[in-house]
Amino acid sequence: MTTFLIFTFAAIGTYLIRISGIVIFGRERDIPPRIERALQLVGPAAMAAIVANTLLLDEGQWRGFGAWHLAAIVAVGVALWRRSSGVTMAAGAVAFAALLLAGL
Amino acid sequence: MTDATPARRAVLGIAPLQWADARAGLKAIGPLMPGSVLFGLAFGALVRVAGIDPWVGSYASVSVVAGASQIAIVEAIRANAPAIIAIVTALVINARFALYSAALAPVFSAFPLRWKLGLAHLMTDQAAVVSLQNADRYPDPVRRRWFIVGGALPFVVVWAVGSIAGIVLGPVIPDAWQIGFIVPLMFLAVLVPGLHDAPGVVAVAVSTLVVVLAKDLPWGLNVLAGALIGIAVGAFVPLRAKPEPEVPDDGLAHDAGGGE
Repeated sequence: MTTFLIFTFAAIGTYLIRISGIVIFGRERDIPPRIERALQLVGPAAMAAIVANTLLLDEGQWRGFGAWHLAAIVAVGVALWRRSSGVTMAAGAVAFAALLLAGL
Repeated sequence: MTDATPARRAVLGIAPLQWADARAGLKAIGPLMPGSVLFGLAFGALVRVAGIDPWVGSYASVSVVAGASQIAIVEAIRANAPAIIAIVTALVINARFALYSAALAPVFSAFPLRWKLGLAHLMTDQAAVVSLQNADRYPDPVRRRWFIVGGALPFVVVWAVGSIAGIVLGPVIPDAWQIGFIVPLMFLAVLVPGLHDAPGVVAVAVSTLVVVLAKDLPWGLNVLAGALIGIAVGAFVPLRAKPEPEVPDDGLAHDAGGGE
């Protein structure tokens, strides 16, 4: 029961977070240019933060250099080359599997 | 046999054009779906290992719809942390959705209220970023919202299916496979192909730097700090001054090198 309530409160809070900006900025017809440019950077900045936290760190500590970093470098290279999410996912997964099989 | 029905007929009361836009949304997010399934499997397996009721675990995936925070809650429960700590930790991890929400406000501004309220619940990281990256291709709000729901809804569905499968099957994926790599890979696959201009590159670099330098902050606050400071610094980087292109940018990858 407690677990159910924890997830319920987390769900309500998360929904309020998800709707917050849409409600606050929803009526603004003219968003100041500086704010608009900042909003365009939300996606890249948030994604980069998640990547850094899961790739370079492991539970808050530095991750030892190995298959994770190398496969990520392959993925970034392929992403810059082909500009495609699907190809990037595939290349990164194959590289990672190969590196693990190679014992890295 | 169904081929004989007129192609223009509305299916489920939804017009063919809307179906086509929804399919385009699905196609845009599709490559990320295997990652969502695997992440769901990992969450489900954790629910099973933690001895949490299978129904409650499944409910979490459709109500919270944010994997990293759900995992944090399960870990907190396993560690016998107070309920309030579990909830607050989850909300701090999910604070980044406020940023997406603000960024999505202009994208959603012409949508009816019920669409805004419904779509907000489906805005995972991936759906939010795909929506932001493609919004300009759909100036018409009706077409735009069908594109968005066409990607966002199936993405949540496969996440939920993956979670339920993980709960049913338990830890079927061996630890040696280090399935956690799917998380950075999935986000790199969304982030890098859409990165074109100097402010974006600076935001990414600053965000990355802050996250690792602030790694000792509690509750995963380094992620939020990285995102916020990355946005703030990136917003001061000037876009290369260049006249507006004559041909409207369709946002597709073939003119990716064009800059802004």
